[in-house]
Amino acid sequence: MTAECHTEPQANAANGSEGARARSDLRVVLVGRPNSGKSSLYNTLTGGNAHVGNYPGVTVDILEAEVALEGGRTATVCDLPGFYSLAATVDADTDEGIARRFLDAPHDGPRLVTQVIDATQLGLGLTLTKELLGRGDALQLVVTQNDLLEADERRLDAAALETALGVPVCLVTGRDRAARTRVLAALASHPLTGTAAGSWEPKALARSVIRSMERGAPGSGLLGPSRRQRATAALDRLLLHPLLGPVLFVGIMTLIFAAVFLVADPASDAVNWMMGLLGKLITRTLGNGLLASFLVDGVLGGAGTVLAFMPQIVILTVAMELLDATGYLARGAFLVDRVLRFMGLSGRSFLPLLMGHACAVPAISATRIIRDPKERLTTILVLPLMTCSARIPTYALVVSTFFSDRGALFRAALFVGLYFAGLLAGLLASLALRRTATKGRGLPLVLEMPSYRTPQPLLVAKKGYQAAKRFLRDVGTTILAVSAVLWVLLNVPVPGRGSPSDPVIERSVAAAVGQGLEPITRPAGFDWRMNVALVGSFGARELMVGTMGVILGVEDADNNTTTLAQKIRDAKKPDGSPQYTMRTGLSLLAFFVLACQCMSTVAAIRRETKSLRWPAFVLAYTYGVAYLASVLVYQLAGAFGIA
Amino acid sequence: MGACLDNVPVGHTIRVRAVLLTPEEREWLGAVGIVAGEVLTVLRRAALGGPMHVRTEDGGEFAIARSLAAAIETESAT
Repeated sequence: MTAECHTEPQANAANGSEGARARSDLRVVLVGRPNSGKSSLYNTLTGGNAHVGNYPGVTVDILEAEVALEGGRTATVCDLPGFYSLAATVDADTDEGIARRFLDAPHDGPRLVTQVIDATQLGLGLTLTKELLGRGDALQLVVTQNDLLEADERRLDAAALETALGVPVCLVTGRDRAARTRVLAALASHPLTGTAAGSWEPKALARSVIRSMERGAPGSGLLGPSRRQRATAALDRLLLHPLLGPVLFVGIMTLIFAAVFLVADPASDAVNWMMGLLGKLITRTLGNGLLASFLVDGVLGGAGTVLAFMPQIVILTVAMELLDATGYLARGAFLVDRVLRFMGLSGRSFLPLLMGHACAVPAISATRIIRDPKERLTTILVLPLMTCSARIPTYALVVSTFFSDRGALFRAALFVGLYFAGLLAGLLASLALRRTATKGRGLPLVLEMPSYRTPQPLLVAKKGYQAAKRFLRDVGTTILAVSAVLWVLLNVPVPGRGSPSDPVIERSVAAAVGQGLEPITRPAGFDWRMNVALVGSFGARELMVGTMGVILGVEDADNNTTTLAQKIRDAKKPDGSPQYTMRTGLSLLAFFVLACQCMSTVAAIRRETKSLRWPAFVLAYTYGVAYLASVLVYQLAGAFGIA
Repeated sequence: MGACLDNVPVGHTIRVRAVLLTPEEREWLGAVGIVAGEVLTVLRRAALGGPMHVRTEDGGEFAIARSLAAAIETESAT
């Protein structure tokens, strides 16, 4: 049996004849401990479709989706963050606090709290059940991972559990399609009345309802670890080995970040090649007029150039999702806890910090798993320093421009080095913050170590697809708009500026702004073009590459096939010497490692800290340090004779 | 009085006798399933004073900071 709901659907409830349960007004609230299979069930029930709900008193995003029930009715399924307890809440902004606020908030219409429990950890799940029953909500239990229990020749007696609790119980497996129908039928047929918490004790009840398939004896199923736990223990002996574990951890991280560069590099070349072909086609069709220049230099040179970096972003997102889905992230937290503790954080900060390597915005939301308010704030403040995927385009451009004569392995190592530079900067910032702005006693680490699991390919693919879609949307909207505006600013001269015989771009509005900033940025080796690109990428760092693409495309309008890297290498000063050298590239990298050029991140910090002070602080300290670092790198590179 | 959890050798199974922490920390440990009377098996210790990896009788596995483990009094599980 793969899906079993003990209580049979009630005909009169299913046909929607009861006034209180009128159409489309049942709210199903999914709750459960972390790693209980709640998100999988949510995806099973809703097909992964979700939008962000708006609930009074709940200021964070709660995913919800509409599903059809029997009899033409619909239900709204809400996915709350995983939590262990509603009573043990330290900070109202953590996952426990958010769940508690949601459940306490007034609601109109019938509501059914549906608790998801991992069958292999029934006793732990029932502890939360007892808390939920004490609240008086209508409760439905959905017990997942039943297949794993059966693989160990153990069986959950759902009828006995239902009788003991007085709550309907539904058994499902993780990947069974029939589970959806059965669970929805159970939800539709629920009487929607609360049940008083009885005098049962969670662990004793769990022992009494899990039976050995062979002997049928209660309690025998709880003796000894399950098959999955034995497999997990074997893997942990390797992956958490005191010496080998950290080495493998660094190896896995290095492999992921190197793969981002090595695997995606040919894909990026292919996109660049296609953009070149498209540019030639446009020029051949439209000639060399203003419209062709706008399309080739503005649209293709800006948005098109950035498009070439989509493969890296997708690969990184998929890698992060795989690590999370397998259960390895918790192992990473275990391994790095000691190092993070030295920096004033703990293993719980590891997940948001690692997620920050894909994108800081969801990572800032993920800090809600950190129960210690000061540790959580510190993690939020250093997250903008993690090497998010939006930095990849600039890193890749600088590496391929100034290090193209080096081997692929050297360039991959440099790429990995940039990731570690961001991490190191974050840890040093944390060390400083915990001794100043966020000092105070912290809560020690308690972290669940889930069993290893095989990731569900569809869910992982979906994450990759969502990342690609988000990136394409950015390219198609913000980046395209900025590229177009910049093209205009580069082609509109400031009246009375320069001589009419000078190229228009050197008399343009954009050039005037960039040149105005040169006295400040010259010590870092940035000229007016880079200044324009830096101003253009203040709101979103990925705009840097597109902006440089537009500037150099407008300057070199006759050449539509040369890549941006080649155009940067070919750029000359008035005296004929190269405008940009490896020294400029290193300085630019130092700036990009440290500066928080992302307004979405700033908005997320504002939302999570509920203050303007902390986002302003992040902007000030990251830009200040970025400027000083780029000046230092540029000057030191000059002192050491790097061209 | 038995040893505190941080001194229990790897592979040994013990019973939690008392959790000598602040009410807040005790409540949090209780929420994840570590309470007086719970039987724990020490699976491993992270290097350089890092956390301990323990398994509860119900099959839940947790990493616990060494400082917390030092405040968990234990006794023989038998």
